[in-house]
Amino acid sequence: MLEVSQLSVGYGEFQVLFDISFKVKKGSTAVIVGPNGAGKTTLLKTISGLLPIISGSIFLDGIPIQEKKPHQIVEMGIAQVPEGGRIFPYLSVEENLKMGSFPKRAREKFKDRLKWVYELFPVLSERKKQLAGSLSGGERQMLAIGRCLMSEPKLILLDEPSMGLAPLIVTHIFKLIQDINTQGYTILMVEQNVKKALQLADNAFLLESGRIKIKGSKEEFFANEYIKKAYIGL
Amino acid sequence: MKRSYLYFLGTLIFIGVLIFPHFVSNYIIHIAVLILIWSYVSTVWAYMGRFGLVSLGHGAFLGIGAYTSGLLFNNFHLTPLVGMFIGGIAAAIVALILGYACFRFGVIGDYFALVTLALAEVIMLLIIALREFTGGSLGFTLNKMGNSFLYLSSDSKIFFYYLALAFVILSILIWKKIDKSKIYKAMRAIGEDELASASLGINVIKYKVIITIISAFLTALGGSLYGQYITYLNPHTLSGVGVSLDIAFKAILGGMFNIWGPTVGTILIVTMEETFRGIFGSHFIGVSEVLYGIALICFIIFLPKGIYGTIVNKLSKK
Amino acid sequence: MLNLIINAIINGILLGGVYALLAIGLNLLFGVLKLIHLAYGQFVMIGLYILYVLVVNAGLPFWAAAIITIIVTGILGIIVHILIVQPLLDAPRLNQLLALAGLIIVFENLSMVIWGADYRNIQMSLPVVAVGGFYIRMSYLIAFIGGLITLGLLYLFLYKTYLGLSIRAISQDLEGVELMGVNPKVNFYVTMAAGGILTGIVAVFFAPIYAVHPHFGSSFTILAFIIVVLGGMGNLLGGFISAFIMGVVTSVAAFLTTSEIADIIAMLIFIGVMLVRPQGIMGIREAR
Repeated sequence: MLEVSQLSVGYGEFQVLFDISFKVKKGSTAVIVGPNGAGKTTLLKTISGLLPIISGSIFLDGIPIQEKKPHQIVEMGIAQVPEGGRIFPYLSVEENLKMGSFPKRAREKFKDRLKWVYELFPVLSERKKQLAGSLSGGERQMLAIGRCLMSEPKLILLDEPSMGLAPLIVTHIFKLIQDINTQGYTILMVEQNVKKALQLADNAFLLESGRIKIKGSKEEFFANEYIKKAYIGL
Repeated sequence: MKRSYLYFLGTLIFIGVLIFPHFVSNYIIHIAVLILIWSYVSTVWAYMGRFGLVSLGHGAFLGIGAYTSGLLFNNFHLTPLVGMFIGGIAAAIVALILGYACFRFGVIGDYFALVTLALAEVIMLLIIALREFTGGSLGFTLNKMGNSFLYLSSDSKIFFYYLALAFVILSILIWKKIDKSKIYKAMRAIGEDELASASLGINVIKYKVIITIISAFLTALGGSLYGQYITYLNPHTLSGVGVSLDIAFKAILGGMFNIWGPTVGTILIVTMEETFRGIFGSHFIGVSEVLYGIALICFIIFLPKGIYGTIVNKLSKK
Repeated sequence: MLNLIINAIINGILLGGVYALLAIGLNLLFGVLKLIHLAYGQFVMIGLYILYVLVVNAGLPFWAAAIITIIVTGILGIIVHILIVQPLLDAPRLNQLLALAGLIIVFENLSMVIWGADYRNIQMSLPVVAVGGFYIRMSYLIAFIGGLITLGLLYLFLYKTYLGLSIRAISQDLEGVELMGVNPKVNFYVTMAAGGILTGIVAVFFAPIYAVHPHFGSSFTILAFIIVVLGGMGNLLGGFISAFIMGVVTSVAAFLTTSEIADIIAMLIFIGVMLVRPQGIMGIREAR
């Protein structure tokens, strides 16, 4: 589904990502873990086309997308839930979801998908007329995920879905992410909450100071001494 | 080596400026006086502008200064030497009220610009509305005084040349004084991070109000000076949106972050206006202003640091 | 006396309709795109001149001239966007404001060069109707109804279409909108074109009311800003209500004092609102 090959990215003269290569299989959940400042958000922004690359390439179903504009990439089927959700605070909950169905392929199915998202997140249905800015942190994150689902994506990019949320809500959100994955959506998630994130993962990547240090399956990650020591704290 | 060379050049220019009016026609002196007066006003404007307080309402202070001293002179025969300070204090009071209110409520950036723009309009309308005293839209002419330094009046343009030059020098000296004062450090800190400076115990509102008052007071003096020079006061040329924008444009075009920026901007704009006027004259009234407007827009897009500012930046990088 | 004041209030309400029409376009640009369009009134002025040329010089029927005017001002909006706003999108907002202020100088003097300083109006005097002892100007009434219809159409566009929705969202989070699959360039073009079209519509309804001259624009720009700020930026309904408030306030104040005092009161209301409630009476302002 997604293939990133020898990708290097930077802001001006300051390089952030070095020679990143990995693949995400259709229907799987891939997780990129790593400390703050490792370049995780930069990586997702680059895949979405928000940042220009220095070198390398990104393929979606074999089609190179690294030269495409963000809106074209969304049209092709990559949807991102950005860090902190970034919902539109002055639009209502339902209008936020409608923004999600902006891509042409998603517009006709707006009603069906809205129904489905409301079933998935009943709390959003209760608050559909409210301004999104009035939601709690967890509700915002759900809205952001729901909004992303509205676009009928092939691949969902999740940027730190647990950030700033209480542990109980994090558990709930991760459960929802798992549900979404079992419905057939491919997910690439970036997380600092390593232990929880790995439980969802089929494959995992450790990103440290802009380079991929370790690749492997969930089991391999849980068995890795370095990961255990530095990130899981066992 | 390079420094002494600059000093030499500076001295040469200064001597040139001092003796210059004795070798040129009255028309050229007139242009020079206009350049000096507006250089002074836009330099004083930049006291605020360079710290991010971009006022589009300095016409208000200009108008208050000119009308206060002008009316006091015409009605009570009070010398403008005193009248201009009364005008300055009046402008300072207005600045205190508006500045305090703005900064207290956190009105900054383009919102501050809009509020000050409205202030300029209020003062202009007020001058027009009080037409029994001010002559309304038609303005009024200052009483004739002949040559008298005590009344800042002279038929000689050279007199006003040196007077205005003194004002410009004053504005430069005050700029330097501010650079060495607490205000500068505080305003720099505020400019970088307002919240952080407030939490460090810097009284953000106080310093912003002080700099606003200084700028308003000195602008009013400039208004008075301009009134004395042209001896005819009109609300549209001394207050309102048009003049206010002109003042800001001169400083921005030259570069409001550099001490000589506003002066360079004024020299450029005034000569540009006069040249265009010379070329197109009375055949096409307005063509010169159209070109002037286009030039302004281009400068804002391509040289946002101003001409002088850009040159200085380039030189200092080398 | 009381009768005269009531008449002033009625005139004020009708004037409010005219003002509402004036403020709609600015509400879109200022409220939605956060663009401080200082040359807004000059756009209306250009629209009036175009209309004048088409009707008086070219002899076109008014409706045809009106349609052409609206198209031309729409295109003008796009041109100004490409030449001035787009190059400054990443610059400090103040630079946008100043560049548009420079545009005032260009527009005003260009009009001076082409049409001179004379007051020009299209000779189409609409009647003043007496209703139960009160006098109502037809031209105001038509502008009032035009304002209502235009507002309704704009509302449908902003609230019922995907493009309108994304235009409202873009002022909240530009990058976020891109992640929804929106091409922000299209949004900016459409908004500036819509802003231009709206000034054209204003010009069409203003033509029977005002004579145009090169300094026509500025006071209307400020008036439009007052209304938009008072109603809350981007809040169309708020803008509509505040237009009526301003209409009545200026009309009554002008009746009781002079028109300058009325304008001063309007300015002071503006300054007051900017200071105390910059989010307007019912509006929203993003943290910065």
